[in-house]
Amino acid sequence: MRRYALFLGCTTPTQVLQYELASRWICKQLGIELVDIEDFVCCGINQSNISIEAGLLLASMNLALAERRGLDILTLCAACTGQLAEAVEKLEDPKIRDRVNSKLKTVDLRYKGKVRVKHISRILYEDIGVDRLKEKVKIDLSRLRIAPHYGCHYLKPASAFKGFDDPDNPKTLHHLISATGAYPIDYETINLCCGGKSFPVSEDIARSLVKSKIDNLMLKKIDFLVVQCQTCYLMYRGQQRALNQKFNRNYNIPVLLYPQLLGAAMGGDLRDDLGIHLNGISLDDFTKKLGVDLPYIKR
Amino acid sequence: MKLSELGPEFKTEVMSHKEAEGLNLCFACGTCTAGCPIHEIFYEYDPRKLAKMVKLGMREEVLASPYIWYCTTCRNCEQRCPQNVKFFDILNVLKNMAAKEGYAPHSWIEQTKQIMKNGIIFSITEELKEKRRALSLPALKYNGERAKKILKLTGIDKVKDQGKA
Repeated sequence: MRRYALFLGCTTPTQVLQYELASRWICKQLGIELVDIEDFVCCGINQSNISIEAGLLLASMNLALAERRGLDILTLCAACTGQLAEAVEKLEDPKIRDRVNSKLKTVDLRYKGKVRVKHISRILYEDIGVDRLKEKVKIDLSRLRIAPHYGCHYLKPASAFKGFDDPDNPKTLHHLISATGAYPIDYETINLCCGGKSFPVSEDIARSLVKSKIDNLMLKKIDFLVVQCQTCYLMYRGQQRALNQKFNRNYNIPVLLYPQLLGAAMGGDLRDDLGIHLNGISLDDFTKKLGVDLPYIKR
Repeated sequence: MKLSELGPEFKTEVMSHKEAEGLNLCFACGTCTAGCPIHEIFYEYDPRKLAKMVKLGMREEVLASPYIWYCTTCRNCEQRCPQNVKFFDILNVLKNMAAKEGYAPHSWIEQTKQIMKNGIIFSITEELKEKRRALSLPALKYNGERAKKILKLTGIDKVKDQGKA
């Protein structure tokens, strides 16, 4: 049995509950035990904007809290992944670690340097493996064409993700999508950022990034855009509607979070286990796309 | 702008931060700008230009610029830099300096306040608690006590909001 500390972050457990729901469900099915740690806080990535040290201290606090329980961290958000993994890398330097620990002392914490941080997709890819995922698939999704979107911080800074995937030409999400039977397409703007970190400062600029990708995807024949970060999800799901109003368009690309796609392939209940209805997708339309009868996937 | 107004002081100030040490390695090839998705849609945001402005000593122009906050943190600039300059880190140093001078956007200040209160950047409302219960998700028990203590050590709680500077 694999055990990880579940790092929910800020946005998933408050705004994209279906990502948490589906992730918990697939982990349970796959024998990954998720431990909830009540005293986790924000990963600190946005605080780095106004104080790099503040960002590092928040990240270090979380690492220390997981380490105290002897657990590595499973993340859902790409940005938390990047921020925490970068902190792990920085804290390998004993000088930085000592400085950070002198501050963590005020909250009775200490980080020794033992924690590893992995995104849920990486854990599925490395710990479970594509072959075992394939064995778990009960529903044939081979008629689906899917556009993968990785999320910038899933693989950057590259130095914190050595030996995993290539940030300039990533493949792991393609393989994970293939494992469900669905077909992952390649497209020109695949590595374009969702703009989520610009959004709080300039909504127009962030929305323009969404528009570039959606314009590209509207030319492709796809059934879903699949993301692995709730911020990317919110940008592509929410901003398509905003763009439709602003530019009188008809953007309508449905967005799924990867654990929802995998969960559907594994036969999870679309509503109760995976929360597909929360993505603004009708369950009837979803099952039609899958090409299976509704009763088949109901409990 | 006069040549006499420029000088190395600003560059030295920026590079005194460990994260910005590599700035001198920049040979201004513009690979960062070419790979920048913000530059692609908003020409005025230009990593190479910002790096050059720091080197020239254009302190006020850089720190007061609203554009430095537009970065979407994709990190393509550092990923592609042939000189291994970490422009993403340099930009964070510039933003940190700008924040100290009162230029921090309201959104980032607000998020810090939320973390010190709730531990995360959002508040946990009754409506949210009900939504989570309906999906059988465990109750959230985040709180800001520890975060507040640790953040106060950095002085981030004293940073002024741009709108109120």
